[in-house]
Amino acid sequence: MPRSNNKSTRRSGQADWSTDEWLRHLTALPGVAGHEHALVPEIEAAFRLFADKVERDRMGNVLGWIHGSGPSPRPRALLAAHLDRIGFLVSRIERGGFIRVVPVGGFDPRTLPGKEVVVHSKQPMVAIFGTKPPHLQKKGESEKVIPIEDLYLDTGYPEAVVKRRVPIGTLVMLRQPPVGLLKSRLAAPGMDNRSGIAVLVRTLQALRDRRPAWDVIAVGTVEEEDGQICLGARTSAEALRPEIGIAIDVSHGDMPGTREGDTVPLGGGPSICMGANIHPGVFDGLRSSARALGFPYSVEVTPASSGTDAMDIQIASVGVATGVLGIPCRYMHTGVEVVAPSDVDHCAALLSHYLVGLEPQWRATEVLK
Amino acid sequence: MTPKARRATRANPLDALLNSLVPAYGPPGRETGVRAALRGALRGMGPVSEDALGNLHLHRPGRGPRLLLVAAMDAPGVIVTRLESNGTARIDLLGGRSAAELIGAMVVFPDGGRALVAYDRPSNGKDAAGPEAGTLYLVTGLDKNAAAKRFPVGSVGMAESRLDRLGDQWRSPSLDNRAGAAAVVAALERTPKSAYDLHVVFAAQSELGSRGALTGAFGVDPELAIVVELAHVGDGKDQSSVTLGEGPCVGLKEHGYIAHPRGLDLARKAAKAARVPIQYLVRDEGSTDAGAVRRSGAGVPTVLIAIPARKTGGPDSLVHARDLERTVDLVARLLVTPPAPEPTPRKRTPRRGGAR
Amino acid sequence: MSRARTALRRGGAAPLFEERFLEAFSNADGPSGWEAPVRAKVVEAVRDAVDSLEVDAMGSLVARIAPAGGRARRGPHVMLCAHMDEVGFMVTAVEKDGRLRIRKVGGIDPRILMGQVFRVGTKGIRGVAGVLPAHLLSNNDMSKVVPIEELFLDIGASSRNEALQAVSLGDLVAFDTTYESWGSVRKGKAFDDRVGCAVLASLVQKRPPVPVTAVWAVQEEIGLRGAAAAARRVSPDLAIVLEGTASGEAPGASEGESQPRMGGGPTITIQDRSLMADARLTELLQKTAKARKIPTQWKRPGVGGTDAGRIALSGAGVPAAVVSVACRYIHAPAAYLDIRDPRRVVELVWHTLEALGKEWA
Repeated sequence: MPRSNNKSTRRSGQADWSTDEWLRHLTALPGVAGHEHALVPEIEAAFRLFADKVERDRMGNVLGWIHGSGPSPRPRALLAAHLDRIGFLVSRIERGGFIRVVPVGGFDPRTLPGKEVVVHSKQPMVAIFGTKPPHLQKKGESEKVIPIEDLYLDTGYPEAVVKRRVPIGTLVMLRQPPVGLLKSRLAAPGMDNRSGIAVLVRTLQALRDRRPAWDVIAVGTVEEEDGQICLGARTSAEALRPEIGIAIDVSHGDMPGTREGDTVPLGGGPSICMGANIHPGVFDGLRSSARALGFPYSVEVTPASSGTDAMDIQIASVGVATGVLGIPCRYMHTGVEVVAPSDVDHCAALLSHYLVGLEPQWRATEVLK
Repeated sequence: MTPKARRATRANPLDALLNSLVPAYGPPGRETGVRAALRGALRGMGPVSEDALGNLHLHRPGRGPRLLLVAAMDAPGVIVTRLESNGTARIDLLGGRSAAELIGAMVVFPDGGRALVAYDRPSNGKDAAGPEAGTLYLVTGLDKNAAAKRFPVGSVGMAESRLDRLGDQWRSPSLDNRAGAAAVVAALERTPKSAYDLHVVFAAQSELGSRGALTGAFGVDPELAIVVELAHVGDGKDQSSVTLGEGPCVGLKEHGYIAHPRGLDLARKAAKAARVPIQYLVRDEGSTDAGAVRRSGAGVPTVLIAIPARKTGGPDSLVHARDLERTVDLVARLLVTPPAPEPTPRKRTPRRGGAR
Repeated sequence: MSRARTALRRGGAAPLFEERFLEAFSNADGPSGWEAPVRAKVVEAVRDAVDSLEVDAMGSLVARIAPAGGRARRGPHVMLCAHMDEVGFMVTAVEKDGRLRIRKVGGIDPRILMGQVFRVGTKGIRGVAGVLPAHLLSNNDMSKVVPIEELFLDIGASSRNEALQAVSLGDLVAFDTTYESWGSVRKGKAFDDRVGCAVLASLVQKRPPVPVTAVWAVQEEIGLRGAAAAARRVSPDLAIVLEGTASGEAPGASEGESQPRMGGGPTITIQDRSLMADARLTELLQKTAKARKIPTQWKRPGVGGTDAGRIALSGAGVPAAVVSVACRYIHAPAAYLDIRDPRRVVELVWHTLEALGKEWA
């Protein structure tokens, strides 16, 4: 199994990493919904560089606390970015040693045939999503998309070896090292949402130096991608009872064939979402900060659902005032998600400016009588 | 109980439980019969109460972490949606059965009324995908006025659920989840002392989307949870590797559920100690009370124990008797196996629900 | 015995349904997430009558009213709930040529949109959903329904700049309908659920027989969202949700299919996709209706979902019921209702609260 992590350079100097280095490091970490425990120590280490306190809650969320400077009891702002990437779990070993998998999170099945993966058994193995060569296909077969349940993985090993080394439930991740493109842009699987985690790390870094009045808790949430709810977002908001909750997640970056209003420009800074999932006061505050800083930003209209952790944070417990910041990302849910590091930096700068500017007495509930 | 029944119970308590629970009236939201049967079975085990959604709670206080044990008690049902001029009653489904599986089933109502589920094939033959729910109706055998009195709009019924033994398999329409509930009661009977402060919830309205499990778990606010259910495997769409007769499943992944490492660890330890062979369940669909329990409140580390089952294409489910017995063994052992200590423990007090 | 003393013994007459509330609420615009204009009207209507009034983190209005008789009077804490949002749209983009792109908020049949007139933003700028005229289309195109993503609104602007002088990105968009009445028929926009909001606003004008928290919730149409958080805040013993529901009448519909009917009285839910209505509470509603000779009808089981489903599942569970006014053409630009029905709902709910107060041990 080829090795590619450079542990030696990691701990020293990690506090001085560039955003590009953070993105390369974070997107490489394995961990799908419900199986984030492998990557949690790395995330804890990253948060620990800048946060006052780091802890893990019982569902696996990683929390990095910045204690506010205001008087007790201090209101709380929760920042959420999900830890899980999309991946697969082994569901069955077939005759011949071929492996069937179920997806964890939404995959675009069109992008899978022929791709390499890592099977994270005790001794990790490389495998390929098998394909039929053209001369063996039926007429018209090549025009049909193969659904995931018909795909299979091939390690090259015989059935007995596979059965012995790969238990049911083994984690499988796409194997695609990051690719540097022009204008510092980076393509890698897992930009959704490790770029959001990068924003959290950078925000913690900024807040350590400019302390806000509020308590700020950066949460690497579990299980956003799978199932009907964002589990980590919901349970952490329920436990923390924040006044404000802001989700940082990727937004569809501009691509050919999309309509006006459906995407946000790559390199155009973070998008500030507005819609039913967004508290108007939080939206105004974020936009004011963007204007004050003079950075590029866009407004993204998300009428009913933002499709992020904020959907579950907003209705947790007695309700939370929520906001959403988007990082432009092209080709989501493929192995070549493209992000501009400058967008990550601008997002973190916007977020920390907003948090530092929060009034100590602002509350999400308005008392009329 | 007659002396003969008492002898039978002693001989095989699980059989007696199945005979008492499986046929009991209890469609979602109307679990009256099965709740009464469970109250009887739980007598003497500790305080029993009913909550806002109809869940049955048993509390067996003890030292140790707060553990929640959940088994749904409702079975799929039907509801009368409107009455036609010729005395037939149109029905809608309450819960997990598909319309096709109900055709020809006898449906029973709480007052003893019975009616037959029928379906008229469309003349254009366009039902290759199976009948739609709205096309089923009940043959009551009564005229319009008598039918309106006996089966008014809103009447809730359940498939007649005789328990049958076929070789080494149990057969009945309501094995899901009466078999799970019976396994839990049998395990409780075997373990008067557990390693936990034990809360048992027999959940209502599981067939309607795990409603009772969600609120019941919130009320208990446990540190760890075990859910005992059936998992139907082996049909065309099934992606799992589970077969009947090879032992209970430990659920690794289903739709909306992923096993928590603490729960998984505990299940593996208990299975080893009790020498119970287990299978692993990984699939993209299904969705059990385990998903609801784990996302209740601030989240609960949860593990699913699933009894393998098969559908027959009709109203019945099939369960291997040995799998059921081994599930009892596994759950009984789980109750006396303490978990590894929690990394960040938290003190919480149980919460109660609305008026009842 | 004086009439006043008799009235006291009977527990007091129910408040009257105030039609002016229905008119004001129906004419106000408030798609899910943008309920502020409706909320302002509700605040106006109830502010003086309630003991406390708050807007929660999602925008729901929460009012508490202590029961008549003060502390001497006990009873279950009842949450009465109606939702303020309607199905509508948001402006998601402004094209270079000044046309507006819109996306829906809530479930809408796209076939009712072509050629429709809308109001945009809090200023109510008029816009029309233009379509290509028939003589410029092929037969094939004429038979296709234009999906929402292809629709645009023409507000009369010729450029993006011109358009942005009048409207903004993210502005609410609602059907341009005005409330009208004839006979016992009332026509208006968003009766689902402005009629529920008006029934609730009418109910709180008098001190109720039991402690009540009234919630005018947000975001029901996009997933029953506001009620979930509100129910956790309120933590009631029981809940009754007041809704506007689809009636069954249509040409060719059989007797059974036509239920519930407009004018047939309060519609009570037994079961829908979100909820098994609490059997005891539903039975009490039926009993009370019978005693007061209020005609009632059943909602067709198995159809739709309401905030009651979420409230029932909040926290450790809440017994919940739903009482609705049957309306024709809900989720369309203009709906109908029979004015006698909301009056009956107010009466039914009030006297059911009375019965609850008496039953509570």
